[in-house]
Amino acid sequence: MAEKFEPRIVAFLCKWCSSAGSDLAGVSRMQYPPNVIPITVMCSGSVSPLYIFDAFNKGADGVLVSGCHPGDCHYIKGNYYARRRIALVKELLEFIGLEQKRFRMSWVSAAEGTKYTQIISDFVEDLKPLGPQTKLRRKI
Amino acid sequence: MVNVEDLRKEAQRILREGKVKYVIGYEKDQNGLLPKPAFIEEPEDVARLIWNPTCVHNLTKFLVDEKKRKALEKKPDNRPVGIVVKGCDSRAIVVLLQEKYIEREDVHILGMSCERNGVIDEKKLAKKLKGQNAENVEIDEDGNFVVTSANKTIKFQAEELLAERCLECPANYPVIYDLLLGEKAKKKAAEPFKSLGKMESLSEEERWAFWTEQLSKCIRCYACRSACPMCYCDECVVDTINFAVTADTTASEKAGKIKWVEKSPVPSENFVYHMVRAMHLAGRCIDCGECERVCPLDIPLRFLNKKLEKEAKELFGYDAGFDPNKPSLVSSFKDEDPEDFIR
Amino acid sequence: MDKILLKKALHQWVKKLHAYRIYAPSKDGDIWTYEALTGSEGFDPDFRTTALSPKKIIFPQREVYFQFEKKDGDNNSIKETLPEDESAIVLGVRPCDARALTLTDKVFGGDFKDLYYWKRRNQTILVGMACITPPSPNCFCLSVDGSPHSKEGLDILLTDLGEKYYVQSLTKKGDQLLNLAKNLFTQPGAADKRDLQKIQTESEKKIKRQIDNLKKVPPKLKGMWDSPFWDEEAMSCLRCGICTYMCPTCHCFDINDEIHSSAPLKGERIRTWDTCQFPDFTMHSSGHNPRPDKAARLRQRIMHKFQYFLEIHKNYQCTGCGRCVTKCPVSIDIIEVLEKVRDYGS
Repeated sequence: MAEKFEPRIVAFLCKWCSSAGSDLAGVSRMQYPPNVIPITVMCSGSVSPLYIFDAFNKGADGVLVSGCHPGDCHYIKGNYYARRRIALVKELLEFIGLEQKRFRMSWVSAAEGTKYTQIISDFVEDLKPLGPQTKLRRKI
Repeated sequence: MVNVEDLRKEAQRILREGKVKYVIGYEKDQNGLLPKPAFIEEPEDVARLIWNPTCVHNLTKFLVDEKKRKALEKKPDNRPVGIVVKGCDSRAIVVLLQEKYIEREDVHILGMSCERNGVIDEKKLAKKLKGQNAENVEIDEDGNFVVTSANKTIKFQAEELLAERCLECPANYPVIYDLLLGEKAKKKAAEPFKSLGKMESLSEEERWAFWTEQLSKCIRCYACRSACPMCYCDECVVDTINFAVTADTTASEKAGKIKWVEKSPVPSENFVYHMVRAMHLAGRCIDCGECERVCPLDIPLRFLNKKLEKEAKELFGYDAGFDPNKPSLVSSFKDEDPEDFIR
Repeated sequence: MDKILLKKALHQWVKKLHAYRIYAPSKDGDIWTYEALTGSEGFDPDFRTTALSPKKIIFPQREVYFQFEKKDGDNNSIKETLPEDESAIVLGVRPCDARALTLTDKVFGGDFKDLYYWKRRNQTILVGMACITPPSPNCFCLSVDGSPHSKEGLDILLTDLGEKYYVQSLTKKGDQLLNLAKNLFTQPGAADKRDLQKIQTESEKKIKRQIDNLKKVPPKLKGMWDSPFWDEEAMSCLRCGICTYMCPTCHCFDINDEIHSSAPLKGERIRTWDTCQFPDFTMHSSGHNPRPDKAARLRQRIMHKFQYFLEIHKNYQCTGCGRCVTKCPVSIDIIEVLEKVRDYGS
């Protein structure tokens, strides 16, 4: 019997807010789908478009970039740069025909454990009907 | 009308006065329609300089070459270099100045206005001439293109032969110059980004099919990267050369070496290369069209860069290459930057 | 053997070749490239020149040498991956491109035979199309010991006589292909042979570009190593690599390992095309680069083609296809460069 498809999400979480938020969800024993591969980065502004393309190239079904709310960045301005850069990445990925639902960005603070679980649950639900990501996946 | 004699006079003057090391311009190629880049060192040689709608190249790339060459010399000649630029080319210089890659004193800019016109698209001309070769193209006083082919002259409306990018050009006159020839006449641009409209109206699957077909052709010759003046990185992300392999390098070290893109020219890797290049050019590409012109397999690369140019304008109100004092697109932000896509 | 094939029978002959994988020039937008025919289309003989030569079928852009996998203990596996068995035919090969394959044969043959190259080479049959008019305004095959009707490297040569093709089968493999459709081929008459002769002579006259006294170039090159000539000529070079990628005789390659998974460690060793025009082609791991600038690299290209290769293999490493001249973005013209070398210092 074929296994049901479980999407794999690569999430770039900023250390000071989003990653802490995901820790809060864990410590509070909140239940949420285990499909995430979290990668802690120092700041959402340090997420290079290369990381995102590479995640899709290695077979990620979905990619999330998450950082501090505007005004709360530990490095003051990092998330503002991220906001611009990720907007451009999103437009480019859509332009070449990648499914729009596969890439998203969020603001999750260190206190928003619940929000984090909601974002991941929504993401997994949206990805399940799309099936595995084959478009940008490395095929050599 | 731009008179090429004025250009030659000015070039001669700055060479004679020792103000510049050499002047980069266009000269006639005896064996083809498009001109060759010319490097004029002697004042007597300025007669070689030409100016007409075949001058499609972006000569700004040679300013990047000049900088790299000076870096290798023990006692470089630090005088500026003279350069003939069109509107688009001048904006490339502005981007290099913005990024402090070159200084304003390094370059003496001889600006040529396209005066409501632009340059030809060789492929469009070849189609019109049905396989006959053309020897020259000039503009007449009414702004039409006069093509010389097999000893006959044929007149065309400019729009029939203009390069696509010229039809969407935001400012076909130099925005920075030491000398300006021709009027700063803003032609009524067709809707900017019109060429993108068709692509954007396609469905997601149609767009995917289009790009897969196009990027499967790519043989990763990197001519697009070599022709682009903004691609000046000493080590490009696709060429990880700073990894020394010795007899002691273990298998896991070699396996762990960060290689963002594999060398294989397969579609998945080609996508990463082209998308990364488009992102690196966001807010920097001024649509000189060289990448598409040089591609030996006719891949429509301008679309990728044009899309990001459009988003830079519409989302962030950013125009590339107009103000050398403005910070670059991705190293600046506004409080009002859109965030409706962020959950 | 010599035969005649009516033009309208060409399609029928190609149909009989279905047991082979057939590559033929096909149009993609404005350019022609060799693609595998998928059955329904025929072969359109009205092409000029292709962007890439048929070299890419025999010496592909990507070749897998072997696959490796690290297993527990010392059971590492290395599996050689020679090209698959596949009888192939390339239709519409220009004489210059076929001659170029005889030159790459010398490189990949000799004392050490490249198994991957020869597997493909031996299982591919080349059906040439003589050039009635030069495919490119920059053709100069005559100057480099070639001709628009050269038979070197081909198994069959077709010459367009108007309503029919003069078919010359040059090898056993060529004969085999003709025998698959014996009824389509007839004997040539005296008039056909005269027409062939006439067309061949005319086609040579139509070649517009040439280099007179090319044989003066190799000895001149020997004395020009330190000359500032190369700096001047290479000034406008963009080091884009197009000249070498398009060239039917260029054969430099790079070898890399591509890792597909790190646990277990699994990957492939692959060969891809490379070009002496890239700055890091000769970069040593110490950081030293013996060809640090464009002048050195242009000098390398010219000397390799017109001096070193001549000394080692007794042929110029150039068949005059003109692709580098047509495609160079800054119009660096190898014919002009060679003429300047020939006349240098006089």
